Amino acid sequence: MPTPKIEYGILAPVLVVLAAAVLAVLVEAFVSRRYRYVVQTTLSFAAIALGLFTVILNKDVSGRFAEGSVAVDGVTIVLQGTILIFALLGLLLIAERGFQSFTAQASTLPGSADEQRALASGLQQTEVFPLTLFAVGGALLFPAANDLITLFVALEVLSLPLYLMAGLSQRRRLLSQEAGLKYFLLGAFSSAFFLFGSAFLYGYAGTTTFDGIKLQITTSPGNDLFLLVGLAMLTVGLLFKVSAAPFHSWTPDVYQGAPTPITAFMAAVTKVAAFGAFLRIFYTTIGGMVWTWRPIIIAISILTMAIGTIIAIAQKDVKRVLAYSAIAHSGFLLTGIVAFNKSGVGATLLYLLTYGFTTLGTFAIVTLVRDAGGEVTDLNRWSGLGKRSPLIAGIFTLFLLALAGIPLTSGFVGKFAIFSAAYESGNISVVIAGVLASAVAAFFYIRIVVLMYFNDPQEDGTSVVIPSPVTAITIGVCAVATLVLGVFPQPVINAVNSLAMFVAG
Amino acid sequence: MNGTSQMLVYLIAIPLFSATVLLLGSRALDKVGHIIGTLASTAAFVVGLLEFFAMLGRAPENRAVTQPLFTWIEVGNFNVGATLLLDQLSICFVLLITGVGTLIHIYSIAYMSHDKDRRRFFAFLNLFIAAMLLLVLGDSYLSLYVGWEGVGLASYLLIGFWNQKPAYATAAKKAFVANRVGDVGLSLAVMIAFVQFGSVSFSGVAEGVEAGKASSLALNCLGAALLLAAVGKSAQFPLQAWLGDAMAGPTPVSALIHAATMVTAGVYLISRSHFVFDVASVAQLLVVIVGAITLLFGAIIGMAKDDIKKALAASTMSQIGYMILATGLGPVGYAFAMMHLLTHGFFKAGMFLGAGSVMHGMNDEVDMRKYGALRKYMPVTFITFGLGYLAIIGVPPFAGFYSKDKIIEIALDAGGAKGIILGSITLLGAAITAFYMSRVMLMTFFGSKRWEADAHPHESPALMTIPMVILAIGSISAGFIFNLGDRFINFLNPVFHSDHSGHGEKEHLLPPIVVSALALTAVAIGVSIAIAKYGRGKSIPAVAPADVSVWTKVARRDLLQDDLNEALFMRPGQELTKALAIVDEKVIDGAVRGVGSLTLDVASGVRRTQTGFVRSYALWVIVGAVGILATIAVMSL
Amino acid sequence: MSLDNYLYLSALLFTIGAAGVLIRRNAIVVFMCIELMLNASNLAFVTFARMNGSIDGQLFAFFTMVVAACEVVVGLAIIVTIYRSRRSASVDDARLLKL
Repeated sequence: MPTPKIEYGILAPVLVVLAAAVLAVLVEAFVSRRYRYVVQTTLSFAAIALGLFTVILNKDVSGRFAEGSVAVDGVTIVLQGTILIFALLGLLLIAERGFQSFTAQASTLPGSADEQRALASGLQQTEVFPLTLFAVGGALLFPAANDLITLFVALEVLSLPLYLMAGLSQRRRLLSQEAGLKYFLLGAFSSAFFLFGSAFLYGYAGTTTFDGIKLQITTSPGNDLFLLVGLAMLTVGLLFKVSAAPFHSWTPDVYQGAPTPITAFMAAVTKVAAFGAFLRIFYTTIGGMVWTWRPIIIAISILTMAIGTIIAIAQKDVKRVLAYSAIAHSGFLLTGIVAFNKSGVGATLLYLLTYGFTTLGTFAIVTLVRDAGGEVTDLNRWSGLGKRSPLIAGIFTLFLLALAGIPLTSGFVGKFAIFSAAYESGNISVVIAGVLASAVAAFFYIRIVVLMYFNDPQEDGTSVVIPSPVTAITIGVCAVATLVLGVFPQPVINAVNSLAMFVAG
Repeated sequence: MNGTSQMLVYLIAIPLFSATVLLLGSRALDKVGHIIGTLASTAAFVVGLLEFFAMLGRAPENRAVTQPLFTWIEVGNFNVGATLLLDQLSICFVLLITGVGTLIHIYSIAYMSHDKDRRRFFAFLNLFIAAMLLLVLGDSYLSLYVGWEGVGLASYLLIGFWNQKPAYATAAKKAFVANRVGDVGLSLAVMIAFVQFGSVSFSGVAEGVEAGKASSLALNCLGAALLLAAVGKSAQFPLQAWLGDAMAGPTPVSALIHAATMVTAGVYLISRSHFVFDVASVAQLLVVIVGAITLLFGAIIGMAKDDIKKALAASTMSQIGYMILATGLGPVGYAFAMMHLLTHGFFKAGMFLGAGSVMHGMNDEVDMRKYGALRKYMPVTFITFGLGYLAIIGVPPFAGFYSKDKIIEIALDAGGAKGIILGSITLLGAAITAFYMSRVMLMTFFGSKRWEADAHPHESPALMTIPMVILAIGSISAGFIFNLGDRFINFLNPVFHSDHSGHGEKEHLLPPIVVSALALTAVAIGVSIAIAKYGRGKSIPAVAPADVSVWTKVARRDLLQDDLNEALFMRPGQELTKALAIVDEKVIDGAVRGVGSLTLDVASGVRRTQTGFVRSYALWVIVGAVGILATIAVMSL
Repeated sequence: MSLDNYLYLSALLFTIGAAGVLIRRNAIVVFMCIELMLNASNLAFVTFARMNGSIDGQLFAFFTMVVAACEVVVGLAIIVTIYRSRRSASVDDARLLKL
């Protein structure tokens, strides 16, 4: 048997990050506690930066590699670039030490003497860095996977660290652990569906490669039972990851319970990776089945938008509002899948880019609003924030307007692109639902704005802490990106559209 | 056919840059902030003047110039560039905004001299100027929308500038809500335009209308949506309630934003969309009705207000009612609406500055019952305010006479019963205006001293009086200059295509001289009644008398507008929410509340599915999986 | 024996697993039910490998086992921590996050 041919240069982004992750585990084990934080942050940032560099080197690559199990093409390049940028910003939030978002030692009991001692010693465990790197590695591989096995492994490499990271919060540890448990159980449950679906697709095509499945669908059209079961189950697994209704229930609980920097990371990075894989599978692998899956995705998309926007209105916790907003945005993103045309790919990529910056920035600001007990996420206690710290409230308003899709923010550009792609494809129903949902959604975003500016501040110790440079950089970058993508989107639109091409096949 | 100009962008960029510098600058800028702000506004005015003279130098049919800035969005066949357009209509606004704006900047230097946040105040004023210029310079509904939101933002920031006081913050909130309702109208209009014509630029929509691309129903919907937007922004019936409360902001703000410029954006919007209204007869009729109702509504409220700023605000409402009415009367009306808008900009801004000057001298007292006999103590304020007064009630040869008289004339000429009704309303409005403005005049400057013990009225410093004097000169002369040989009408003609040559020969219901006589009679009646009630020798109680007729009470309460809002929107909303015990604490009062609570009920119902049990979440996953399987199965049969 | 029977068994095991997730309260048992679902998939994989005469399915089954092992590591870590904090491994007790 010949040795498999591996194109290390082209797979470098994934390999660099995963290698760094393994190295980071060793660092956690062997480097003295005093230097660990410095070493870990340096290592992580260097790995991400190097990954980004290798992605740029790959920018003209288009083809299948590692024996056809990985596809690197324009879409992969854009997605990997986006993921790495968001990972960098997310890591900046995670690296913020002043707020102590993470528990000093995850194994200690909440409220126990051990915990006190671990906290008092000021020596935090830094296992969050290797975990983050593993998740990033999985996220990079997920949208590039061109094989069911690779897809499944990438999905798990992405998910498993996130289950742990969700449970690492320092304050309200019970909530955080519960979030971890829920995320884990439901995630594993949905990956069982995913796996079962993969098995049936394999049974149908006799191969696990996407190209083989695609070929089988085009050469022998017809409604094979294995194909249909496989398709349905695989879709369930993917829909869970993008938190589409009715597979969304974990999202608000996990977003609320997880440490906010992790929530920010999840909201941006996981969404990009999951929609990346969604795009590849639905546009290429099972593109031949479009008449079967399109009505389902339309229904799910409309349901997701409706549930996300309507429930968000009744929320009282800012992180839950943002979680439901993330669900609604998944619904909007699904319209890009529904479009199933050339502009749909570019529009989805653009939307992911715009949405990621905005959502990262939003959660970054959530980490700043605190009282003596940690972050304040109760919306009522955010009232009058505009009077306390006009600058932060102003930037938060910018992000909310972008989430609502108001013109001159990146959100409008993304929404516009994705809705017009769906409109072009003739699926008017989903566009109408999208516009209506956006209108309703504007209500709860504006509600927060009103709360911040027109209500009186409450005297309960809630304050906005001055961000340290790392968090300030994140917020600044996100705000600038939100504005620039809103005002001068054309260069980015052009760049994304020129790259938005799947490898031919 | 249109030329280009590379200067237009500076109109917006200069004040915007200044606003950014002032907002982000450090405390070190506190000492010079007001000077930077004023210079920025002046520079914009100079650019505006240069453009104006350049425009006069061109032949009338190619006076409009554009400046493409950049391609904003290009998706598929949809292409929106950020392009600025300066034509005869926008230049009127540019000069008004920058000219009056600069005067008000100068005034504010003195007026706000004791405020520690003066730098921030000037930053907001500059921001407002930039946004307002974008509103009138954009060449598409989308750019207009951006400017529209920008002026809204600047307006809330400025109304709530002294937001330490709860009442002021409430006022800002109310303005916010009314404007949101209006904004819904504008965004609807943008959407309708895009769906119907595939374009959102003014020229694109105009061509589409001309080519008959849209049904008359669609055009009327578009018109109605535009009207809704105008109603919200220009404080017209039934969304007028916020304007009175907006007077909580500093007085220069009331003068600039809530009298001369922003509130007239609705008139601009309708005039700019003349090609829609010219063919959408139902929407056009609605415009007339809204204008007519508001002009009386505002006037009636004006009679009952003791707060000098609120009385002036009511009068603004009423005067804008005149303008809206005129725009609803078709091609001939737009130019007169614009003329009234400009003259109103001069005299109303002047009067507001006068009111500010009075307040400045009277320890910020706004109750006219505590004024009296101020003419001896504040002569300059008295004279400039008096000139504005003569202008607004329409005494020849002051500015208001020319513009208002024309509106009355064309209202009468509207034909048939409509003409007679509208004519009577405008005449009645003129009489009431004369009455309540005389009342303001008499209560403030004449009669006996009814001051608080610690009041020491004094004339304001030169920085405040000079802008008032300049505006007063405008109040005297503007109307006469505009009207000389119909030059203003002819100037605007290329924009509105109002075939003006036929104007003179058209059959009038009444000859112009009779109309003028009627209008003057109405004014004389109004003034006489005011003098009889508030003139020499009549005592004015320091507290508003309680034993007044029910009509006065109603008028004092803004014609029950707040109560109506409450009855229509808030009460049922509250009942609904009570039933579900999950009451969202006073998020936004008024209209939004009613709509919001319904959605809220649905939301809290659906929310129950989020039980917190992992197992029920898993159940949802299975339900979804089975649902997808079943759908696929059904479809493959 | 027809290979189809293995598929029926696989589907049955998957359903039992899914039902167990819905019914059982103990987090460990819930997790074991999920493992059962994974193993049902593995059975399907090897059956299909046999049917198609290709080795990919068996390969996939090995990958699944490795991934499942990782999942056990992560899952038990989470469940044990929760148990230590609450003295209960019931998934129904963990419902501070709701609505």
